Amino acid sequence: MKVRLPLLLVLIAGILGAIPFLIPHSIVQSIDNEFRNSVLRIIVAFSLVLGVGSIIRHHVDKIKRKREHWQYSWILVVTLVVTGVIGLFGGIEGNGRLPTHIANFHFDIQTIYMNMAVPLMATMFSMLAFFMASAAYRAFRARNFEATLLLVAAFILMLGSVPLSSYIFPKLPGFAEWILTVPNTAAKRGMGFGIALGTLATSLKIILGIERGWLGGTK
Amino acid sequence: MTNIWEKLAKLDRRIIYLFLFLVVVIPLLFPFKLEPKPMPPVVKLFNYIDTIPESKALIVSVDYTPDTEPELHPMSIALLRHAFARHIKVGVLTLQVMGLGLAQDALSTVTNEFNSRAKTNADSIIYGRDYVFWGWQTPVLVPILGMGENIANVFPVDYYGNRTDTLQIMEHLKNYNDVAILVSISGSAIPFYYITYAQTSFGVRIGAGSTAVQAADFYPYLNSGQVTGMMSGMKGGAEYEQLVEERLGVKGRRKATDAMSSQTAAHIWIMITIILGNIGYFALRRRKK
Repeated sequence: MKVRLPLLLVLIAGILGAIPFLIPHSIVQSIDNEFRNSVLRIIVAFSLVLGVGSIIRHHVDKIKRKREHWQYSWILVVTLVVTGVIGLFGGIEGNGRLPTHIANFHFDIQTIYMNMAVPLMATMFSMLAFFMASAAYRAFRARNFEATLLLVAAFILMLGSVPLSSYIFPKLPGFAEWILTVPNTAAKRGMGFGIALGTLATSLKIILGIERGWLGGTK
Repeated sequence: MTNIWEKLAKLDRRIIYLFLFLVVVIPLLFPFKLEPKPMPPVVKLFNYIDTIPESKALIVSVDYTPDTEPELHPMSIALLRHAFARHIKVGVLTLQVMGLGLAQDALSTVTNEFNSRAKTNADSIIYGRDYVFWGWQTPVLVPILGMGENIANVFPVDYYGNRTDTLQIMEHLKNYNDVAILVSISGSAIPFYYITYAQTSFGVRIGAGSTAVQAADFYPYLNSGQVTGMMSGMKGGAEYEQLVEERLGVKGRRKATDAMSSQTAAHIWIMITIILGNIGYFALRRRKK
């Protein structure tokens, strides 16, 4: 039963997800409407609750057992609770029931988000530029014909994606655009067909219960 | 001499990082002006939005998170400036929960710009009349397919808690039939969902704003006409800002254009390191032979 029930659910959900695109009959469409607008939303709402619940449980447990870096878990739990309360009761820009400013110091959810979440996440992502620069320096070596081709294409696109190129070589941005429009599209289309066919085959295997890896390795 | 080639072939990564930091920061502090020349995908998007009739609306889907904010946020702001300058009705939503604050920021930035210059009520940008912010809905298929049937059903209340069916703008914004184009700005795969489901199933036009690294993925769809136009990377945003200012005379801070000098310097530095690395590599290879 532990195996059959999930397999049956996947079979039903897979068929219900696919047939509305193939059969335009009103009964099929109304079932799809109900499935998509009610069932799916309820499942996702549960998964959000589950997500918040499990992250709290994980970090509370870490604090209790004083595992490595347990101090950071306090920051997560406190931040989660504080921003949650402010977000729920403080309104978007401080117009809720909960007061979210002391004199000119504002701590409504939009202010917290724009001044903490945005710079923190943008900073983390900006680190990528440093790794990319270092990786580009090491990887782009003209070792053979293919590597040289890659190097030349990268050079043209790197230069073509800054405005300076149109001042130095007026035709370069157009050439960079041609690389993206013609050779890139040709390669991407081929890959796209391959990926689509692979996705279709894998989906069918999962829906029909042939591929059962997602059950946790049960054969 | 061999030592020099070896050093070139094996530059210390700290040197690369230090110079990259300098070439990014110095032009941000002392920018040199680089006016971008708009490329065809951006011009196509601009021209299509520019000719949206009064009866149709523009939907902006703010599908990016703060990590890609510097690259993608100027696109949202430029799009909103364009739409409000042309008095096009705008619906805004996000399919990323972290995009809510960014969408709110873009809307408040642009509406404040327009309202501070407005002299009459007609010139002003008023919530519920000129634009609506529906907020966030998940999972992505629910709003993408649902908006083809009835937008008010997908978003019964807007981001501010108002019932959407009570808003004036929603009288003429029922579903994709009332939408001229939907522009999804994202650093993820969300625009592909719009292409696959909204464009294919309902025929609504799709525009895209993507990070530079992801732009290559959109060209097959741009060529097939499934994507009407697109902005790629910070340069795409800068090009759109340029078009909005040049053709409509709408002034405002052009964040993407401001960052072009920094991005140019960074690209040039990366290219220099690649050239140096290759010089060292070839010199060493010749000596070994």
